[in-house]
Amino acid sequence: MIQTIVKRDGRCVLFDIEKIANAIFKAAQALGGNDYETARELAEQVVAEMERQGNENPSVEQIQDTVERILINTGHARTAKEYILYRAQRTRVRDMNTRLMKTYEDLTYKSALENDVKRENANIDGDTAMGTMLKYGSEGAKQFYHMFVLNPAHSKAHLEGDIHIHDLDFLTLTTTCCQIDIEKLFKGGFCTGHGFLREPNDIQSYAALACIAIQSNQNDQHGGQSIPNFDYGMAHGVAKTYRKNYIRNISKGLTLFADLEDGDQAAKELNARVEQESGLKPVMADDNGYRDRELPELCKLVDEQTALKIQKFAVKEALKETKRGTYQAMEALVHNLNTMHSRAGAQIPFSSINYGTDTSPEGRLVMESIMKATDAGLGNGETAIFPIQIFKVKEGVSFNPGDPNYDLFKLACRVSAKRLFPNFSFLDAPFNLQYYRPGRPETEIAYMGCRTRVIGNNYDPSHEIVNGRGNLSFTSINLPRIAIRSKGDVDFFFEELDRKMDLVFDQLMERYQIQAKKRVRNFPFLMGQGIWLDSDNLGPDDEVGEVLKHGTLSVGFIGLAETLKALIGEHHGESEYAQNLGLEIIGHMRKRVDEQGKKTGMNFSLVATPAEGLSGRFVRIDRKLFGVMEGITDHEFYTNSFHIPVYFNISASEKIRLEAPYHALTNGGHISYIELDGDPLKNLDAFEQVVRYMKECGIGYGSINHPVDRDPVCGYTGIIDEVCPRCGRREGEAVSVDKLRELGVWHENAGNCGYCGDIHEEAARIPNPVD
Amino acid sequence: MMMNGSIKYVDGKEMIGEGVGFERIRRITGYLVGTLDRFNDAKRAEVNERVKHTVSREVQL
Repeated sequence: MIQTIVKRDGRCVLFDIEKIANAIFKAAQALGGNDYETARELAEQVVAEMERQGNENPSVEQIQDTVERILINTGHARTAKEYILYRAQRTRVRDMNTRLMKTYEDLTYKSALENDVKRENANIDGDTAMGTMLKYGSEGAKQFYHMFVLNPAHSKAHLEGDIHIHDLDFLTLTTTCCQIDIEKLFKGGFCTGHGFLREPNDIQSYAALACIAIQSNQNDQHGGQSIPNFDYGMAHGVAKTYRKNYIRNISKGLTLFADLEDGDQAAKELNARVEQESGLKPVMADDNGYRDRELPELCKLVDEQTALKIQKFAVKEALKETKRGTYQAMEALVHNLNTMHSRAGAQIPFSSINYGTDTSPEGRLVMESIMKATDAGLGNGETAIFPIQIFKVKEGVSFNPGDPNYDLFKLACRVSAKRLFPNFSFLDAPFNLQYYRPGRPETEIAYMGCRTRVIGNNYDPSHEIVNGRGNLSFTSINLPRIAIRSKGDVDFFFEELDRKMDLVFDQLMERYQIQAKKRVRNFPFLMGQGIWLDSDNLGPDDEVGEVLKHGTLSVGFIGLAETLKALIGEHHGESEYAQNLGLEIIGHMRKRVDEQGKKTGMNFSLVATPAEGLSGRFVRIDRKLFGVMEGITDHEFYTNSFHIPVYFNISASEKIRLEAPYHALTNGGHISYIELDGDPLKNLDAFEQVVRYMKECGIGYGSINHPVDRDPVCGYTGIIDEVCPRCGRREGEAVSVDKLRELGVWHENAGNCGYCGDIHEEAARIPNPVD
Repeated sequence: MMMNGSIKYVDGKEMIGEGVGFERIRRITGYLVGTLDRFNDAKRAEVNERVKHTVSREVQL
């Protein structure tokens, strides 16, 4: 006689036959059955069977096994099937809950040092309270979506590592990223949700508000934020600053020479009259004849010679003050973007700024200042990690000697050789040039720092622009796995690739359907303030589905090198044959993506996935499935997108030549790197040659890597192998304070923080006195 | 960011920097993320395996 049973957690509880009957009844009900009595009889048979086996204290699992057997033996095959399905589903939920709790346990008790999950994205500090809180939410959300939201086929493909749904934790919440048109945003001012900010009136406020805009938008999306027109946008602030400075210096001159009670008032009134009558303003270039129109007005207050002297003084001073003010503004922007927080304090906003083509004196000053501030580094000379800066290279504007911004290109090379930024984007690459319309900055290609690219527009071909648009979501395909499974059969590879692409198309569309149902009020800044293209025509309760169609749905990939290795034994760095097959594969993916775009009117695109968190995930699963395969699964990571493997010896020019054609195919974004040896500051020519070669070969977006190390004790920035070249200490070793004093890097008032900025570097900086 | 540790006296000499590592900034996927210790395991491995690319004459333009 069964009196008790053993539950899964080991507890012993009283046996209740009704529970078995209910479970059977529910399975039958799911098939339209309605006969509780039969269920009860079957339950009794189950008990009889267990007792026949002499099992007086069965476990839940044993009972369930017996139920299945009895159902099948008594001809209730369909009910049995339903029961088994139900049981499997319950097991899955239980497993997931257990797994989630295990994840939570690790998040709670392990530091980022021990826990890879906490370091999934390097710019989130997983060790802080808010960083951990964000991870709890993120991991919990993922489990929920797998269990209740995702199409089971997509969930399975993701969990098994056939595909990777990026930013899955935000599946039901928002979209990836946006290119903020800063010019439009500032016109007339904007609202961050807690009060209105007026249209800024000088470069300092322009810079401060640019940070706030990035921060606010970052909180509405799960990816990064980019300003595609930083030079053009900020130039307005410089112009306003110059005008104010000019008027103020006229006022000083009038106060001094005209013996006025209130020089400020007189200068303001005088300026208002001249501007109204002539329609001219004082401008930095000082070339519009404003001063000629101003002169007679000044002569009403002082003699002509003095008037000319005052004007000369005002021009000189205004320029000096504007330069200083702009530098301070850009320095503050860099500092702010490296310290301000978003997403519950867990993450520095992921910010990118694009510049390079504005040839106005104001725009040029903005670029010079931001690059010099980047060059100088943060407070203790640290390398700023944000904003990601992208210098736009364009023939006739910023590429060749004689181009108006060639000097800035040179400066960009120098700063990048020291600080890793700016990266370089190439407007003349044919796939970028096709959109370029002179005089319309919104048609100049811009990149999200990570590499995302949005410009073509299937949905609205009249808006093939960068402003106000971004990526909605992206999902990557595990290419090496398809190749391994193909066992050298290239035809099979392409067939299987097509199946995976169809799966991803479906998954991206299903995700879009969820995003489309959101309303403007769900994105108070992105949509509420009209940042996203066409969202300014919507009310707070309108759905965003239609305007979101300006965004891209991207199919990504990882590990082309390993894929080729698995298919034909060589990667594209090793043979021309492999390169051709590589281009065929990626070309095929692009073709499929374009067809899907035409079919649906959506902006499907192909992205060379950035793969930070993904770099190790697929290969870990694949190594379990297929074992260690040389050149395929024998590293900790799959090679990034279409890159030549990082461990493969190849010259810079060859790498650029081989990777460039993939840039033309990956319209959703791409980047190529070159790793330079030594200190590139000592060989700027080589640095510039690499950038020039990238341009010639048709690279869209590229950057040059070199080690940037820093000893926080003496402040040395450069390459440090084992020993710091400045103070001579090894990692972890102490150095004597006398030595630091001798080097002139010890600040007596620094207490025990030691280094507080390099005195020599300080001296080289643009002076930054407080007025 | 990293603190520089506090002054310690060794044989009557003021010493600083014990236990303080070097900061190593690397590009990760188009962006910088601060020092290497914040990279995930796979990305760290990738950084370790990176080789330099020689700039040869043919690049001259």
